[in-house]
Amino acid sequence: MPTKLTRQQHQDLYYFLRLNRRVDEQLVALYRQGKVVGGVYSSLGQEAISVGTAYALAPQDLIGPVIRNVGAMLIRGFRPRDLFLQYMGRRDGPTGGRDANTHFGDVARGVIAPISMLGETVPVMAGIALAAKIRGENRVAVAYVGDGAMSTGPCHEGMNFAAVQKLSLLIVAENNGWAYSTPIEKQMAVRDMAERAKAYGIPAVTVDGNDALAVYAATRKALARMRRGGGPEMIECQTMRMKGHAEHDDARYVPKKVFEAWRRKDPILRYERYLIAKKLMTGDEKAAIEERIESEIRADVAFAEASPFPAPEEAARPVFA
Amino acid sequence: MRRESNKASLNPDAATLQRMLYYLKLTREAEYRIERVLYRQGKIVGGVFTSRGQEAITVGTAIQLIAGDVVTPTHRDFAAHVIRGISLQEIFCNWLGRVGAPTRGRDGGPHIGDIRRRIIAPVSPVGAWCAVACGAAMALQRQGKGNIALTFFGEGTSARGDVHEAMNLAAVMKLPVVFVCNNNAYAYSMPAEKEYAVESLAVRGPAYGMPGVSVDGNDVLAVYAASRKAIARARGGKGPSLIECRTFRMTGHSAHDAAEYVPEELKRQWKKKDPIDRFEKWLLARRIMTRAGIKALDAAIQKELDEAIAQAEASRLPEGRDTLEGVYCGPECWWGNPSVARGPQSVATH
Repeated sequence: MPTKLTRQQHQDLYYFLRLNRRVDEQLVALYRQGKVVGGVYSSLGQEAISVGTAYALAPQDLIGPVIRNVGAMLIRGFRPRDLFLQYMGRRDGPTGGRDANTHFGDVARGVIAPISMLGETVPVMAGIALAAKIRGENRVAVAYVGDGAMSTGPCHEGMNFAAVQKLSLLIVAENNGWAYSTPIEKQMAVRDMAERAKAYGIPAVTVDGNDALAVYAATRKALARMRRGGGPEMIECQTMRMKGHAEHDDARYVPKKVFEAWRRKDPILRYERYLIAKKLMTGDEKAAIEERIESEIRADVAFAEASPFPAPEEAARPVFA
Repeated sequence: MRRESNKASLNPDAATLQRMLYYLKLTREAEYRIERVLYRQGKIVGGVFTSRGQEAITVGTAIQLIAGDVVTPTHRDFAAHVIRGISLQEIFCNWLGRVGAPTRGRDGGPHIGDIRRRIIAPVSPVGAWCAVACGAAMALQRQGKGNIALTFFGEGTSARGDVHEAMNLAAVMKLPVVFVCNNNAYAYSMPAEKEYAVESLAVRGPAYGMPGVSVDGNDVLAVYAASRKAIARARGGKGPSLIECRTFRMTGHSAHDAAEYVPEELKRQWKKKDPIDRFEKWLLARRIMTRAGIKALDAAIQKELDEAIAQAEASRLPEGRDTLEGVYCGPECWWGNPSVARGPQSVATH
């Protein structure tokens, strides 16, 4: 892989992949204990996309994540406790206990909070890229969009606008095969999401979304071109949604053998095997990373569970100026 | 006219070719009366939008519709209404805001249609009707009689989300829809190069998984040939197609827009490519029409327009007592009235 990552960077990537998965698992556990307010939308199997893309960005870039991009939010500086506080509706969470799942962000950390209407990230991030262009700032705006979201009108309008205005908008098209229970063949009549980019004159590549380094390398390449004023790009990352749409969906409509086939292509196991084989990570280093993650998670869960709920008197506080 | 369109034109027979000339000229002359006469006399209620220079797009496509087909025209598809059976008198009543109009004096000239004649009236949020055309096409697909939905939109409209959702749905469900893009170079004052970053909107077709072609929108035979193919595809259950017709908007966006932002040179160049002049010359060269025949046609059209306008001007304006007509269900309405038959024939209580 022509990625020129240092040993430490490789292990950082591994750390974030593992952290993403462990945070996800912890959220599921909290959900099953009845402690989560609202739904839990897992990113199981898709971690390499969030982590591979976000890790390639510069501090001045901004992301517009959606429900399965927790890994990207962690790379931008959110901690597991922020997610636990948010999902459990606590006062000290990123939305003060007022919104659910990944509907949070922080402009200072370059994270634009998503909403439920998928596809809306695209025109919003295009707007951010436009602002950066007007101000002469070297920023890339990243919009994550799934196969379902790509069928929405706002997605079309945002991509077309970015192309006409030659904005530094990176569209990360996550093709995970399913939009709730709609399989990809009922979502679009072309094979790859990358075909869509041709409608706008946006260059696009399709990569194995379960190969963290392939995702990282494609992102680096796209960013370099965009920073030279090349205009928007699309990276389609093909993967599989390894669970239902949300924890309340048992995904009975997905044939079992599809899950089995994709389990063998698990992105974290693949990357782990790669690092060990290339001697970029020893068994001890791996154990240390995992231990570090475990203690982080333990501490952050405890912290979040002990955190207060918002007081009713505070309900109107951030509503009016 | 190039060789290819000559071969294809063997398909429209002489009678159809003559009908096409009639509708082209009727559109031009009727719109002249609306924009340059009635509007300037202050007789039109609301704004005026015409299709000058773009007539071949509507005529070349809509002339191929059969009974049971559905059409969703834009504000620049005058001929679609006439071809589908709306009378000139009804059209002028609509522009003049009279009671005998399809919109009964309640909506402006361009928002004309009639669901009984399977014309879905356009609305101001352009492109919204493309998704509606898909809904109609879903019904037609289920009915299995080979009917299609023909939908028009401009290049500016192509940037709207509604068009995207419609084209995607049509492709996935293989709906019998023909998408016709009138690329007339300007969306109000927005030039086409600010609407899209590709060479031609034809590429939008394959991006959804449907064929996409680009034709000279000022060549009615090229439009006819391309849409014939697309219509046959749709009737045969093979799904939707996209046809981009490249033309030029020879007027402002509307009668109140002087279009000073359009370079004079562009207007001059496109005037030389007038679709009606071209087709007339072609018909004369092949002796499908004679000069005398064309002169007679012109005179007949003027007479038709004179009569229709006179009738419309003599029609009643809506009055207070008309206001609630058709708003609430009456005894003739099917809702909650089992003895009245359901279906499109009962939707129109007016």
